[in-house]
Amino acid sequence: MLTLLFLTLIKSVPIVYAALGGVISERAGVVNIGLEGMMTAGAFSAVVFTNLTGSPIIGLLAGVFFGAVLGFVLGFAATFFKVDQIVAGVGINLVALGGAAYGLVLIFNQPGASPQVTQLAPEQLLPQITTGETVMIVLGLLCAFGLNWFIYRTPWGLRIQACGENPRAVTDAGLNPLRLRLYSVIASGALAGLGGAFLSICEVNLYSDGMTAGRGFIALAAVIFGRWTPWGATGAAVFFGFFEALQYVLQGRISWLPSDAMQALPYLAALFAIAGLVGRVRAPAADGVPY
Amino acid sequence: MRVVLRVLAGPAGALVLAFVLAAVAMLIAGVNPVDGFGALFAGSLGGRRPIAETLVQTTALLFPALGVSLAFRAGLFNIGAEGQLLMGGLLAGAVGAHFAGPGWLVIPVLLLLGMVGGGIWGGIAGWLRARFNASEIISTLMLNFIALSLAGYLVAGPLKSPLASGAETAPLLPNGWLPAFPSIGSLSFGDTRLTISILIAIATAIVLSFVFTRTVFGYELRAAGEAPEAARRSGINMPRMTLIALALSGAVAGLGGAAIVTGVLHRFNTALSPGYGYTAIAVALVGDLNPLWVCIAAFGFGILEAGGLAMQANAGVPKDAIHVIEGLIVLVLAARRYFATRASGAPV
Repeated sequence: MLTLLFLTLIKSVPIVYAALGGVISERAGVVNIGLEGMMTAGAFSAVVFTNLTGSPIIGLLAGVFFGAVLGFVLGFAATFFKVDQIVAGVGINLVALGGAAYGLVLIFNQPGASPQVTQLAPEQLLPQITTGETVMIVLGLLCAFGLNWFIYRTPWGLRIQACGENPRAVTDAGLNPLRLRLYSVIASGALAGLGGAFLSICEVNLYSDGMTAGRGFIALAAVIFGRWTPWGATGAAVFFGFFEALQYVLQGRISWLPSDAMQALPYLAALFAIAGLVGRVRAPAADGVPY
Repeated sequence: MRVVLRVLAGPAGALVLAFVLAAVAMLIAGVNPVDGFGALFAGSLGGRRPIAETLVQTTALLFPALGVSLAFRAGLFNIGAEGQLLMGGLLAGAVGAHFAGPGWLVIPVLLLLGMVGGGIWGGIAGWLRARFNASEIISTLMLNFIALSLAGYLVAGPLKSPLASGAETAPLLPNGWLPAFPSIGSLSFGDTRLTISILIAIATAIVLSFVFTRTVFGYELRAAGEAPEAARRSGINMPRMTLIALALSGAVAGLGGAAIVTGVLHRFNTALSPGYGYTAIAVALVGDLNPLWVCIAAFGFGILEAGGLAMQANAGVPKDAIHVIEGLIVLVLAARRYFATRASGAPV
């Protein structure tokens, strides 16, 4: 039981970060389908820079940086070029996944997975949770708290909300909604990159192809399930994290339900979550609409 | 000027861009682009066998790309072609392993089962969207992972061939194998993996093109995608259209899965697709969602897929570079609507 609790916390962390990224981006009016790719970029660059410098802290920062770079690409495309946000996001995902696979061969000269690198503070604090993981869990909660405060309590947060509801009004108020949207998507990418870095250098100590396994899309489902609020999305991410943890805990315990079938649990949970909200959610009015 | 913009924004621009990006990727890997492209084209177009392999890859990409085009035309972002391909192949492989009979019966039935498998998978997303307004972007992607888990479980357990060491179904009886591509003069393809499935794929493209441009259903489908509010007000049943479009889109992708099972693998396993369903999105966009252009785009990407391995082996450029290029093309083509509007002179 305790194992399930700890595993839920650990498995939730990357989804929480990505979901918070999704919240800020969608609140500003940009649907970030590229979260998955930004997590991939974060996970891969964290390993590369940890390997390069020997410091997982620098790896973590690199993950944030390269997530933000992809956020900039999507943000710039979605604002000043007015491209289709969904198509651009799909493109980001393909580039990131292909780029990481390409980079594995170029940098480490081995396809499929990177060599092992220094893990972020692996000393055990609690039986199942390492110090690094504890820090990231606490930081995740701080991010949720901070984003909540930022969106609802600061002038800039309210302006960003306005970009997602009625960008015209932002223009009329003398501000540039495109620029605000761009900043929001960059922040979104940074958060997703942090979530990806957690996957590669905190939960384990290497990058392997496809390791994000759709978590960016589960995070998008968490944004919807959490009704576009920071705390709601965090709760939803923990809910999906629980199903991922459940799969590990149940493995081998229920003989008639094999592990292959149980891997579908978090995805099924996300599917049911977005389907179960009929008529009860309202996205920001200008979400996904280029301005 | 307008003509220049239009050409740049179109498939021609994407093709030029692909070559430039490929050259950059080769330079990054420390390879002279001349050698890189040499290996790429030798491995994809340099002879009978490479060409056959390119056409095998073209076929594998064409079915899901046509499915994706159909959904996109209806304004629905089906990014679940990968799962639909897998489910189509799974159903065809599961039944095909035990289905004895004459080829003229077995093959059409297996292909139809592929459409049913993919159609159900796409239909689930369509139903969720129509009934619960659940985003098809998320649901189709979740269904990809669910399909992979389900197929992985079935081929490792209930459907596993007792004779095979790996996780796969029992092989199809030879009556269920698609015939080899017919000989052209003295050119025979009997010893390659090329089958008549490419002809089926092209026929599918022609049918879809006809449906889009010459039928009421195709008109309604495009109207639903291009002007949903106008479509709804003119009496088109939008939830029904959503369900049908996603189910049909899945069916076309599923047909591709069955074509791989009956034409190439002769059994089902989860290695059926190395990501054809995702690359198909790039193919569909490069082909401008027009079935006939999509055929040409699929051939272009078929060259990349088939030549990529040769490029890796003979020139030392990792074949994953191909996928980076595909992604960048999608990113650039996302700007297409902007350019197209500019080219037609409409206000932005």
